[in-house]
Order: sequence, then structure tokens, then C-alpha cells
Amino acid sequence: MTANLTLALVAGALIACGVYLITERSLSRILIGVVLASNGVNVLFLVASGPAGGAPIIGLTPGPQMSDPLPQAMVLTAIVITLSVAAFVMTMAYRSFQINGDDEVADDVEDARIAELARADLASESYEEMGFSDTGEDVVSE
Amino acid sequence: MLMALIAAHLGLAVCAPLLARVLGQRTFLLAALAPATAFAMLVGLGPTVLSGGVVVETLEWIPALGVALDFRIGLVQWLLSLVVTGIGAVVLAYCRWYFEADPPQARVVGLLTAFCAAMIGLVTADDLVVVYVFWEATTVFSYLLIGHDPTRRANRSAALTALIVTTTGGLAMLVGLLALGHAAGTYSLAAIVAAPPSGPVVAVAALLVLVGALSKSALVPFHFWLPGAMAAPTPISAYLHAAAMVKAGVYLVAVLAPALAASPGWRPAVWVLGALTLFLGGWRALRQDDLKLLLAYGTVSQLGLLVLLLGTGTRAAALGGLAMVLAHALFKATLFLVVGVVDHSAGTRQLSQLSGLHRRLPVTAVVAAVAAASMAGLPPTIGFMAKEAGLEGLTNLALTGDGTGIAPVPGWALVAVVVVGSAITVAYSLRFWWGAFGPKPGVAPSGLAHPPSAGFAAGPVLLALASLAAGFVPGPLTAVLQPYAQTLATGEESHGLVLVPSPGAPLYASLIAIVAGAVLFWQRERIAAVQQTFPAVPAAADLYRTTMRGLDRLAVEVTDRTQRGSLASYVGTILVVLTGALAVTLAGIRDWPAVHLADNAGQVMVGLLVVVAGFLVATSRGRLRALVLLGVAGYGTAVLFLLHGAPDLALTQVLVETVSLLVFLLVLRKLPKYFTERPLTSGRWWRVLISAATGVAFTLVAVLMIGSRTATPVSAPYPEVAKSFGYGNNIVNVVLVDTRAWDTIGEIAVLSIAATGVASLIFLRGRASRVRRADLDPLRGWLRGSRVLPPGERSLMFEVVTRLLFPLMMIVSVYLLVAGHNLPGGGFAGGLVAGTALLVRYLAGGGSELDEAMPIPAGVLLGSGLVVSVLTAITPLSVGGLIFQSYDVYLRVPGWESLATPWGSWTLLGDIHLVSSTAFDIGVYLVVLGMMLDLGRSLGSGIDVQARDGLTPAPEPESNRAIPGRRWDR
Amino acid sequence: MNNLLAVPVLLCLFGAGATFLAGRHPGVQRAVSVTAVAAVCVVAGVLVWLTDSAPLVLWVGDWPQPLGIVLVADRLAALMLLVAALVSLAVLVYATGLDQDEVRRETPVSIFHPTFLLLVAGVSNAFLAGDLFNLFVSFELLLFASYVLLTMGGTKDRVRAGSVYVVVNLVSSALFLVALASCYAATGTVNLADLAVRLAELPAEVRGVLQVLLLTVFGLKAAVFPLSAWLPHSYPTAPAPVTAVFAGLLTKVGVYAIIRTQTLLFPTEPLSLLLGVVGIATMLLGILGAVAQGEIKRMLSFTLVSHIGYMVFGISLATSAALAGAIFYAAHHITIQATLFLVAGLIQRVGGSSSLDRLGGLARLSPLLGALFLVPAMNLAGIPPLSGFVAKLALLQAGVADAGPMAWALVAAGVVTSLLTLYAMAKVWNRAFWGVVPEQATARVTTLSRQGRLLPRLMVGSTLGLVVLALAFTVAAGPMYGYVERSATALFDRSYIAAVLSGGER
Repeated sequence: MTANLTLALVAGALIACGVYLITERSLSRILIGVVLASNGVNVLFLVASGPAGGAPIIGLTPGPQMSDPLPQAMVLTAIVITLSVAAFVMTMAYRSFQINGDDEVADDVEDARIAELARADLASESYEEMGFSDTGEDVVSE
Repeated sequence: MLMALIAAHLGLAVCAPLLARVLGQRTFLLAALAPATAFAMLVGLGPTVLSGGVVVETLEWIPALGVALDFRIGLVQWLLSLVVTGIGAVVLAYCRWYFEADPPQARVVGLLTAFCAAMIGLVTADDLVVVYVFWEATTVFSYLLIGHDPTRRANRSAALTALIVTTTGGLAMLVGLLALGHAAGTYSLAAIVAAPPSGPVVAVAALLVLVGALSKSALVPFHFWLPGAMAAPTPISAYLHAAAMVKAGVYLVAVLAPALAASPGWRPAVWVLGALTLFLGGWRALRQDDLKLLLAYGTVSQLGLLVLLLGTGTRAAALGGLAMVLAHALFKATLFLVVGVVDHSAGTRQLSQLSGLHRRLPVTAVVAAVAAASMAGLPPTIGFMAKEAGLEGLTNLALTGDGTGIAPVPGWALVAVVVVGSAITVAYSLRFWWGAFGPKPGVAPSGLAHPPSAGFAAGPVLLALASLAAGFVPGPLTAVLQPYAQTLATGEESHGLVLVPSPGAPLYASLIAIVAGAVLFWQRERIAAVQQTFPAVPAAADLYRTTMRGLDRLAVEVTDRTQRGSLASYVGTILVVLTGALAVTLAGIRDWPAVHLADNAGQVMVGLLVVVAGFLVATSRGRLRALVLLGVAGYGTAVLFLLHGAPDLALTQVLVETVSLLVFLLVLRKLPKYFTERPLTSGRWWRVLISAATGVAFTLVAVLMIGSRTATPVSAPYPEVAKSFGYGNNIVNVVLVDTRAWDTIGEIAVLSIAATGVASLIFLRGRASRVRRADLDPLRGWLRGSRVLPPGERSLMFEVVTRLLFPLMMIVSVYLLVAGHNLPGGGFAGGLVAGTALLVRYLAGGGSELDEAMPIPAGVLLGSGLVVSVLTAITPLSVGGLIFQSYDVYLRVPGWESLATPWGSWTLLGDIHLVSSTAFDIGVYLVVLGMMLDLGRSLGSGIDVQARDGLTPAPEPESNRAIPGRRWDR
Repeated sequence: MNNLLAVPVLLCLFGAGATFLAGRHPGVQRAVSVTAVAAVCVVAGVLVWLTDSAPLVLWVGDWPQPLGIVLVADRLAALMLLVAALVSLAVLVYATGLDQDEVRRETPVSIFHPTFLLLVAGVSNAFLAGDLFNLFVSFELLLFASYVLLTMGGTKDRVRAGSVYVVVNLVSSALFLVALASCYAATGTVNLADLAVRLAELPAEVRGVLQVLLLTVFGLKAAVFPLSAWLPHSYPTAPAPVTAVFAGLLTKVGVYAIIRTQTLLFPTEPLSLLLGVVGIATMLLGILGAVAQGEIKRMLSFTLVSHIGYMVFGISLATSAALAGAIFYAAHHITIQATLFLVAGLIQRVGGSSSLDRLGGLARLSPLLGALFLVPAMNLAGIPPLSGFVAKLALLQAGVADAGPMAWALVAAGVVTSLLTLYAMAKVWNRAFWGVVPEQATARVTTLSRQGRLLPRLMVGSTLGLVVLALAFTVAAGPMYGYVERSATALFDRSYIAAVLSGGER
């Protein structure tokens, strides 16, 4: 069985565009990327389902000419899930605007703290200098 | 019996908090009974063990891993457990008075008793893994006990140091033990000693085990944790860090020496490190001012000697070593307890502040004298005899090599070091007694804060008597210890322990040691002066400190590198990894399958359109523009589906695109026009590269995969079976609601969560706010809800359209639902259409209009949808079918089948063909509708309400930012 | 009998439906969800017992095979299901123990309960799925539930953390779909057993491509290095019960999927070298991350990542002994990691913070809390005889037995990791439980305990329950390990395929 080059290329292109947007900072833009990429992936399923054919409806198309129904069912599931994704992430973007005035996915503050420590050549915040001796003020005692 | 005792200890430990509440400090006495009983039991075993027998107990634990709770009491185990339990009992009893002034010490009681149990287990277990279990247990208890007063940083870090150092060794040992066990095919200590494995792996394993032993017994270079451990209360130090725990390493060396002493590297390591420790510990002990620390360094030094003797693995040395273990346990425990007495009575442990206590505490002074004598190796104590025997073993090494093959020069060097060490021992023993009790010129005679009670002093007395008494029974003692020495292959028989040694190298050696020691003590000021002049060499402790700091720094640096903290970097990493891996694997493909351009011309043209739309989306900066183009791409995809022969997909795709557009627009009204800017950085080119790579990779994968299919797809038989099993013509729908209903039920669950999530992000404290139908009832007419809208927001035109549209859409949705099983459509399509109708109602008439249209909470729809689906899933069970098995019935409504007209008979209802899976499709319909309603309520009315309260973000003019909603709990 | 396989999922779905319907009756919702999850525990227990004789197979809808979806429970699946269910139950009880105000802030009942139930449904289905696409649906189910739980309350931090988590997982879902499309394209099936048969007929390098795709997807779910950075970024901000159940279950589903696909679909390509390196990197870098942290929940998130490495350790050696170790480790780690996050919640409650430099003297303030932390912490560090040690022992044994250079490297890394874990836990103990009690903490504790709200009975009870469960692993290590070992060996004989394609007993 040979691949449908057009569909394969379309899928690739859509996914590429999607990925480009997903590596953005703005959540709404990321979402658009995700939707775009999902379309690409769905087209990929068309490639995977073999040659085009008639609608897989008994009586409408004779069995041999039917397009493979199984991937279609999967894609249908995927499409509906994409809808839920769209709704949820869009709401998150809205919420982010509501709180921050933008929908940029901020970097992790804790990691920034670690980075500062690293730049300043310091030990971690939880580090406790190992210190005891048999003389001096840091002598152990009951 | 033994296990029962251990269990009893643990039980007591667990109950300690309760007991302490009732008994107060007397709990210690109760706890002391446990080890005392064990001691008695062990004494009872004496005859068996001394007549060469062994006591064995075993209980299955993890047979699959070859680990069992095997206990095996031979001679060494017997002696050590006697020491552990005996001294344990004494110390616990002693605590009762030591802590008299303090609040009840439930923690200490519990931990000490538990530790006692662990210690008994450690010295009696035969399974090496079980040995390790108890080994680590003692480590942890010691950590907790050292941190008795954790408010001082020094104490905390001392505890941590002890934990880390001993665990490091312990883990090395674990690997060693496992390798050893694997080589020997058993973890049984006895079996391994009986038939020692060999080979390079075993050699390494032996050294790893040695590392564990040395770290536990505080030998150089691990010694530094032991002085720190003195942060524990004195009786605890006496037990853990003098008598019992630190002997664990010695014990392990003693029991493994018969098997491993000859393994390469073992003896040299033992000799060098032992000797070094002996000297270093003593040397440091000489200059301590704190009596307890003096003893601590003394212990370090003595442990060096013990390991040196027992690790050598010759008979004579072994005899001396084992005797030394007993001696050391007795005198060192005594001396620690004495320090406790002195500390409590005189209120200080600093020897520079103590003076003339021998008058105030005569008994204790005598006791201390005896113990110190035993430590210094003066007759007539067990310490003396043990040291004699030890020296005999070493001089044998020097004279003949004694089967170890050591050359004379290093042999004598070893002897020399040990003699020096003993001399120092003599010196610091004297210094200890003089420091604690002796009169010192220029120091005010110490007074007694409160004189020790009889019980308090009893412990040391008892132990000291033992040290003394043992000195007078050399014969029997030899008889007891000799059998162990005989388990060793190498070396000649020792002469045994003697009170009056015959002239010979050993005797001269110890005479030299004693005299030199006396001189050292006499000349102590000079020595101290000399010590001052010594250059400060970097000690192991400093090394450890720098290591730990280095480790923490490393952790920070590594984490800084690996944890970039930005989403883009995460996604980037993922895709780089994937594409990289794919590139490698795809490069390995030799023959690529052929491809064909397209199935029909339409695909090419539509495909082109879609791709162009995609690129424009990726590059557009305006939100609305991007959305419209996204729609174009989406609808284009729908056409591609149609061209491929997937009408259901096309239909659903169109509906989904429409709904998403509506949703986007609902939110978009509150967002700025443009996306946030991103300065053109190198980052962007990376992104382009990664995206391109991903796209290419997936295209190739698709081509390759479909190209290499040989098998016929499982879906091939559908045209035949769809009807017979699913009673439907539309195969895709049959697949959704029947064949793969299990997927679909999960999918509608996803929808219900998504709806919930949207609601939760808008209403935060729960699901949609209560359905509001207030103040509308007086109003009459269609689209009444819109009347509560401000006139400015109303559009007559739209309302009229809606009026026409809504019923139509509802009918269509129901049609799709029913027809779906045989023609394109189904629950999803139907639900989406109905939902869109609701959204239209909202757009026309606002939130209250929506509530008018669907006057029930979305949760009810979602819930009932799920419930219906689950019920359809389980109904077949009632007729003995499988989950989701489907059945069909034909229904005929008399008179309604067809309608006779002049133009022939029209089929009206015909035979209504009901399929059970339709019920499931109804569940799907309900859930989808519920989700749409939730979207409307949250993103529609919900946002409206927030806008009214000024909670929505307000886009700044000419900016891609917005002013956040007021008073948000940040 | 095998209809039983559908029960856990259906119970949760039904429960979710009921909680939706009972929208405004928190009491009812609590009762429903607790009952449902408890019932799942029972069913899972039965499954564990049944599967020990033979795998159970259910062809949903009784379609001609291999058309329909199949649910399969072998020992591995049943064990994972049981442990997961028990942990979920404990977490659920813990959540119901929160104060009213906390509930409104942290776990709004009408949202929390249905979502939590659907999460459990997703997890259970993931373990039982015998169909790759159905596995995808289970993942979507549990992921969406986790999205909602993670962003509950919609505070600034949670929206940030949520965004990262959601986007990363959307990517992983898309990749999973690509993998699915590829599998179907190449073989024309998505039924795991059928797939195993058909993959064997493909050229090795084509199979390799599919393996890479699936490994990436599941590795991302399991958070193995270098696909792990998102986890510590997103987990710590969520409410304690949520983080606990995430830490316990979600990553392990990924691990389970890796074990399943590696042994079933690619038995001839263990990729030992690659997985070995990944395992070592995950263990070491993860634990170094933990050492560098100053906040307990973050530290725990890093130990979570790090200890996934142990399971990869076992998988990479690909001997039945090593896999048994990995499976036991998974069971142990689900329990213990969840416990520690619950304890972290209690710490926050008592100490008013979870960052080490604002805590001190907790052991003095509440010895009970001290015990509740110490035991699981030591367990995580693999201190014997706790279950962590048993698991580690099994892996080290397998490594020593293998005795190849990579095996020794793994053993070394494993030992170092366990040492550093102990160090990290001791850091927490030294800083938070020892040391001086901050004044405001004393005041806070006195007020809380006066109101009797210091350590609510349900919260302590559920946490204690998990601690005890972990201890039970030690006590019952013999039989349990026997079971695990049998399940591991069964992964290598093709019994799974046989059971599925023969249709299993009706």
C-alpha cells in the first residue's frame, strides 16, 4: 500500500505550523497552534487509513470501495477531544488575562531562584554548613 | 525465643510514650528488664555455645530474593550479644537517675530499647541482608539519639554527619554483601565462612564490606563522626558510641576474617588504617579538655587496634582481639558512666575545672581507677591480658609472618606503631583519671552540686568489678575464646591469656609501652607544647565538609542547567529528543516505499489552501485574524475528510470548528486585539528549525508506515458484520456507539470534565451559578430573556433570525441523533447542533435568555448523560450478555406505517428499528448538550456577570496587554 | 466473571454522573465518591486474587475478535490497579477531612469529586486497556481530570503551573496520536496483542521507529530525563491531596505503559543501553535537583522524578528479576510518594509553610507529625526493612546478577541516589523537625489546636493508613514479592497474547 503524498505533506505542514506556535509564550497563541497541529494529526490518520473511498455506509457504498471506517472513528474521537481542549485552554487564557493582564506562560520563579544561587556560586537554601569541632564555639554538647 | 525477645524490645519501644506518661523516669528501669531478660537467656545458652554448639532460629521473609530471618548464635555472636544486652541493661537502668532532673524521656526510652533490639539482631543474624537491615537500623537510631538537643546547629550537623558517613559505608557494604552472596550462592554467613567464594568480584566485594565496617567503627578516614556523636547524652554515648554500635564494624570484621582475611588488599588495608587510627585517636585524646571527648578519641584509637587485631586473621591476634573487645566494652562503658556521674555531681566535664574530686567521690574514683587501668593495660585487669595476647599475635607476625606472608620490616613497624599507640593509651588513661579526680594546683577543689545516689553509682561499679574479676580468670577466659581463634586457618596457636606473662617480646613491648606512657603523662605540658607546634594538616573532617558543600553546589549548578523553567524549553527539549531519535531510526531505513501524489485532484487543491491558511495563522499577530484563518484551515480539513470518503468526520469537523469559533469569540471580546510581541531573537530561528524538523519527521514516518503495511486491517470485515452485530448501516457510527463504545464512554467523560474545568475557572468556587429565572415571569412572548438586556445590546434582526433558527436547529439535532445509526450523524453531531442553537439563543438574548432556553443546571445534563451511558453498558448483563453488547427490536405503530396519497404510499414511520446502542447515543447527546450549556453559562453569562462587577480584563488601547480584573486574590 | 474488568471504570463513571446530579449536596457527593472508590478497591482486590491463576479478558460488546475493544487484567495490571485504588481512597478521605474554608478554597466539592472519580476511572482504565487507542482515551481522561484538579481555584500560581502542565501534556497527547496513526498504518490494528503479533512480521527498523515514538510518549508521561523538567514545575503548586494523587498515580501509569509495550510489543529490542543511560541520568539528576531545593513539595517532586529512574533501571536490564524489582518499586513508590505529599500538606498546616527556612522544631510541636514524616521519609530513602529497601534490594540483586558494565553502573547510580535521597530527607528533618520553633508557629499551633483543627482526624487517619500500607509491604514482602515475580515472568512468556487472542473464558 502506498502513501498519499499530498495528505502526508499537508499533515506535516500543519503540524510544523502548530509546533511553531506551541513554542510561543502567549497561551492563546499556543492554543491555536495545538488546534492547528491536531488538524494535522487527523490528516495523518487519513494517510494511515489507506486509499480514499466511498463513505463507509452500507447500501451507499459497496464494501470493497469503502474507505477504512476504523481510523475515522478514532479521528472523530480526537476531534471532539480537541474541542474540549480548545474550550478549556481558552478559558485558562482568559483567567490568565484576568489575573495578570496577559496570557504569557511565566517562567518558574523557583528555578529562577536556583539560577541566581548558581550564578552567585552559593549552596542551596536548604544547605546547612556542616560544623562541629572539639574546640571552639561550635563544640557539640548535650 | 530470640526473635520473641527482639519483638518484645520493639513492642516496649512503641509503648514507651504511654508508659512514660504513667511511670515517668522509672520507665527506664522497666525498659532495662528487656535486655536483662535477654542477657539471662543468653547466659542460659552458655553451655550449648561453649560446648561448640550453635543456636539457630529462622523465619521466612522474602524467599524470592533468598532473604530469610535466619539467626545463628555461635561463639562470637554469643559474646557480642552478651556485651550488648548486659551493658544495655546497665545503661538503661543508669538513665533512670541520669535523667532524674529532666522531664520524662519517652523518646530516649523508646529509641534506646529499639536500638538494643536492633543491636541484638545485628550480632545474631546469619543472613547477611538481615545483618544489613539491623545495621542501618542502628544507624538511624543513633542519628535520632545524637540529635537529643537539636536546637544547636553543631549537634544537628553532628547527627547528620554520623548518619551520612555511616550510611555511605553501609551502602558500599550492601553492594559488597550482595556481590558476595551472589558469588557464594547464599547470604548465610556461616555457609560463606564454611566455603568462602573467590575471584576478582569477591575481592572487590570484600573491600566494599570493609569500607562499611570501617565507617561504622569510626576508623580513619571515617573517624571524625564519632567525636561529634558525643552530642548525645552521656549514657547514650556510653552505649552506642563506646560499647555497642561502634563494635558492629569490629564484629563484622571478626566474623568475616576467617573467610576474607586472605583476600587481596584486606590485610594491608586493615593494618595501615588500624595502625593509623590507633595512633591518631590517641594523639588527639591527649589534648582533650572535655573528659567525654577524651574518651571519644580514646575509643577511636582503641577501635583501630581492635580492627587491626581481628582483621589480621591469625589465631593469636584473633584471640587477643576478641579478648580486647570484651575488655574495651567493659572499661569504656564504665568510664563514660563515670563521666556522667562526675558531670552531674560536679556540674562540669572540663578537666581543667575539676580538682580533687577523689575525696568527694571516693567510690567513683576507685571505679574509674580500675577501668582506667584496664584501658591502659595494667595488671591485674582484663585489659592487660588482652593487650598481652594482642601483642603476642603481632610479634608473631613480625617474627615469622605467621602465615600472612608479611615481611619482617613492616611487621616490626606494625609492632612499633602499636607499642607507641599503647604508650599514648597509657598516657591518656592517666590523664583521664588525673583530670577527673586528681588534685590540681591552682584549681579550686570542685564542690558537689548534688552527690550521686547509690543507684546512679551502681552501674559503673558493676562494670568495673567485671573488668577486675575477669582479670583473675585467665584460664577459663582463654578456654572460652580459643575456639574462635581456631576457626582461623592461618597462624600458630596463641599461648592464651595469662595474668603473669613469661618473658618474651610481647611482655617487653608492653613494659616499654607502660613506661613510655608514664613519661608522656609526666611530661604532658611539653607534649602539649609540641602538639601546638605541629602544622595544622587538613583533617578528614574538613575534607568531608568541603565534599558536602561541593555536593550541594553541584546540585545547584546541575539543577540550574537541567531545569530551565520555561515552557518553550520543555516543549523544545521533548521535540528535539523525539526528532533526534526519529532521525537516527529513520536513517536506518534502507528501502523507502513508493508514494502516489493524491487520490484525487481535489485533495491537492484543498490541501494547498489548508497549508497556506496554516502558514498565515502561524505568522499572524492579530487574534481575530488568526482565528478566522484557523477556521479556514479547519473547514478545509473537513473538505479533505469528505474527499477521503468520511462524511461523518466532515460533519463533526464542521460543527466542532463552528463551536470552537463561537467559544473563541466569546472569550475574545475581553482580550486585546494583538498577541504579545516577541522580539526577533535567535530563539525564533530555533523554533522554525524544530517545527520544520518535526513536520518533516512525521511526514516521513507516515509515508514509511503505510508503505510497509502488509497485513489486512482489522476493519476489513466491517461491511459484513456492522449490520449483523451493530444493526446499523453507518459503520463509523456503529463503531462509535457499539464496537468501540468503550472509547466513546471515556470520551464523553472527557467532555464532562472539560465542561467542569471551564466552569471551575470562571466561577472558581464551584460549578455554574444557580439558574436565574427571576423577574421574567410577568413578561410574555418569545425571547423574553432578551428584554432584561439594555436596549443598546439588542438587535431586532438577530432576534427574529434566532426565532426562526432555534426550532429548526433543534429538529435537525434530533434528526441527526436518530438517523445517525444509518446515515451520517449521531449523538455528537446532534448534541453539537443543539448546543449551537443554545449559544445562538444566548447571543441573541443574553444570559437570562440562555437560562430560559435551558432552565436546568448543566451538571444535570452531564450527570444524566453519564448515568444513561453506564446503564446501557451494564444492561446486557441482565440477560447474561457482555458489557455493551447490543440488541435490537422492531416496533410497528398500527396505522402510522405509511400514508396513502394520490401519489402513492409514503412511508411515514415504517418499521421503527430500535437498537439498544441508540440509548447510549442519547447519553452522548446529553453530555455534549450539557457541555455546550456549561460553555454558554461560563464563557457567556458568567463573563457577562463578571463584566458587570468589573472583574473582566480590560484591553488597553493600542497595546497587547490588558488591565487585570479588579480585586483578584493573586 | 470477566465482566468484572469493566466494573472499576463503570463504578467511577457512574459515581461521577451521580455527583454531577447531586450538584448542590456536598454530603451526598462525598458519600458517593468514597463508596465508589472503596468499591473499586474491593474489585481490584478480587482481580488480584483471580489473575494469579490466569489473565482475565473481556471483549467489550462481544464483537468478532479482534474488532472490538478488549480489557485485560494480568497480575501486573491487577496489582497496579489495587495499589492505585487504595492510594486514591486514602487521598479522597484526606480531602474530605479538610476544613470547610479549605474545601471552598482548595477542593470545591461540586468540582473536585466528579473530577477525582473520573481521574480514578482514567487510571484504572489505563491499567486494564488491552487496546492502544483505548489506552490513549484513558490517558485523555486522566489528563483532563488532572488539568482541572491542578488549576482548581484558579490562583496565579496554579494558572501558571497549570498552563505548563496542560501544554506539555497536549503535546504528548498529539505525539501519542501520531504513534497510534503510525501503528495502525503499519499493522492495521491497535489491539495490543494483535499488534504484538503483527509487529513481529514487520522489518526490524520499521518496528524501531514505532518503538521510539511510543517510548517518547510514555517516557514523557513517566517523566524520565530529559523529558521530566515539566513535572517539578507544575506539581508543587496544587493542593496537597491533588499533588499526592498525581505523584502517586500519573507517572506510574507512564511506567506501566512502558513496561507493557516494551515487553509485549518489542520483546526482542530491550534497548538496554539507551534505557540504562536514561535511568542513570533520571536517578542522579533528579536527586541532585531534590538536594538543591529549599521547599518541601518541590523537593518531593524531584525525588519523584529521580525514583522513576529506579523503575527504568529495572526495565533496562530486561530480565524477569529486574522487572520484578521495577514492578515492586512502582507499587512501593505509588504509596510512599503519595504519603509524603499528604504529610507535606499536614506540615504546611502545622508549620504554616512548606519552605524549610520558615519551619523549625516541628518534632517538638507535634511528635505525631514527626513520626508521620519520618517513617515514609526513611522508606523513600530505602532504609531497611521498609518497602523501599526491599524494592532497592531486588533491583541491586538483579544488577549484581547481570554483572555487565551497564548493570554495575546502574547499581552504583542506584546506591548513590538512595544515599542522596537520605541526605535530602535528613535535610528536611534537620531543618523543619529539629531546630528552634519559630514564635509565630507556636502561636498558630496553640490557636489551631484550641479549635481542635490542628490535625483533623480524617487527614491524619488517611495518612497513617498509607504509612501502614507501606509497612504492610514489608511484612508481607514474601508473598507480595512472589506475586510480583510471577507477574514479571509472565511478561516474558507470551501468555498475555495467548489469553487475549484465544478470547479468554466467557
